[in-house]
Amino acid sequence: MQNETIRLSQETKSRLELTPEMASRCYTCATCSSGCPASGLVPGWDARKAIRAVSLGLDQEVVDSKWPWVCTLCGRCQYACPQGIQILKTFRGLRSLRERDQVPGPLHKGTMMNLERGNNLGIPRDDFLILLAELSVELMEDDEEKPCPGFYVPVDKENANVIVTINSKEPFSEPDDLKFWWQIFYAAKEDWTVSSTNWEGVNWGLFTGDDASMKEQVHRVLENARRLKAKTILYPE
Amino acid sequence: MKTWFPEAFEEFRVVSIYDLLVEYIQSGRIKLDKSRFAGHKVTLHEPCNYFRKSAAAFGQDYSSEYRYIVKNCFEEADIVEMYPNGLNNHCCGAGGGAWAMPYSQERIAYGKDKADQIKETGADIVVAPCHNCRDQIMKSLSKEFDMGNCKETLYLWELVAQALIIEPWSEEEVKRSHALRDAQYERDGVELESEEF
Repeated sequence: MQNETIRLSQETKSRLELTPEMASRCYTCATCSSGCPASGLVPGWDARKAIRAVSLGLDQEVVDSKWPWVCTLCGRCQYACPQGIQILKTFRGLRSLRERDQVPGPLHKGTMMNLERGNNLGIPRDDFLILLAELSVELMEDDEEKPCPGFYVPVDKENANVIVTINSKEPFSEPDDLKFWWQIFYAAKEDWTVSSTNWEGVNWGLFTGDDASMKEQVHRVLENARRLKAKTILYPE
Repeated sequence: MKTWFPEAFEEFRVVSIYDLLVEYIQSGRIKLDKSRFAGHKVTLHEPCNYFRKSAAAFGQDYSSEYRYIVKNCFEEADIVEMYPNGLNNHCCGAGGGAWAMPYSQERIAYGKDKADQIKETGADIVVAPCHNCRDQIMKSLSKEFDMGNCKETLYLWELVAQALIIEPWSEEEVKRSHALRDAQYERDGVELESEEF
């Protein structure tokens, strides 16, 4: 990490508001890192080291490393921690401290795309509606093995029982996979609907540590349910 | 939602896919045929979000609901648990957005644990009730590692759909549904090239 002696002073105070005092409870037992499949994947880092770094005020070193991103935030460490340290929350907090243009991969771009255009992959409304209509015939009404005559996707239907969201990767690249839920709704004769806009069910703000975007995404799910007067909201898978 | 919009729970009933599927099965709204999977063995992957994280955030995980649903698709003797399982199950390696991140070497190495767990069970089907987990196990781990007998990775809702007994709606129901559909397509300007009535 570094060769100089670390002087614990005011300047090394952690920037993470919620966790340094929690991290300082760590007695370095390594229950976290020994049960972690990511241990050994990032040279110089593991869960225990990252927590120690935070408790010593060396957040920036962890923020600059790829540790918080190779860690999958699975929470096994936190579940096992005998000191009850909020390890998962801490690591997600470290992701939040990364400059937005330095967030690895397309996650931040997708989040911004979602805010701007209503889904992570920027699928336009008209394309979405046509696709749903075509798939309703191809996958459902005309299915050879299990035909579902009368099936269609109820879009923007008011007073439905259940409102659902959709993972944008499915209409984008795996449309056939939409059929599983559709078959279940058909067999159950569910009164369901999906919104024609802001239907995204994946919240990448969760992964990038972007609370404001995450909150906006949740807000949209609620607003759709309110506008369409749905009774039940189905959490995304 | 609980943190930012607690009022939502007053306004709406909020359910997970596990709750909904259990409800459909218990009320008899859907019927499942176990013989669809006769001769197969299945094992259950537990995605972090609906298990460990849900337990931490809401004090509830869906272990029993999950198993209830699978038991309605499989004979109990054909369900093989992974070790460890439940709240100690291992992450697939693609969680936290890792599936979309550039660190693919690390993601694959991480998944070795999962592939080994699956192999140990001897099951030929693994259930992955999460988009990320399913993509990681099906599209990556199955190619990178020896997963033993395991040939298929299915979403939980895909498993249910495969075992589902679908009775086509009556003519009356189809007619009513088509009328609603046509009104919706007209409102939204949706035109299909070859419509079937």
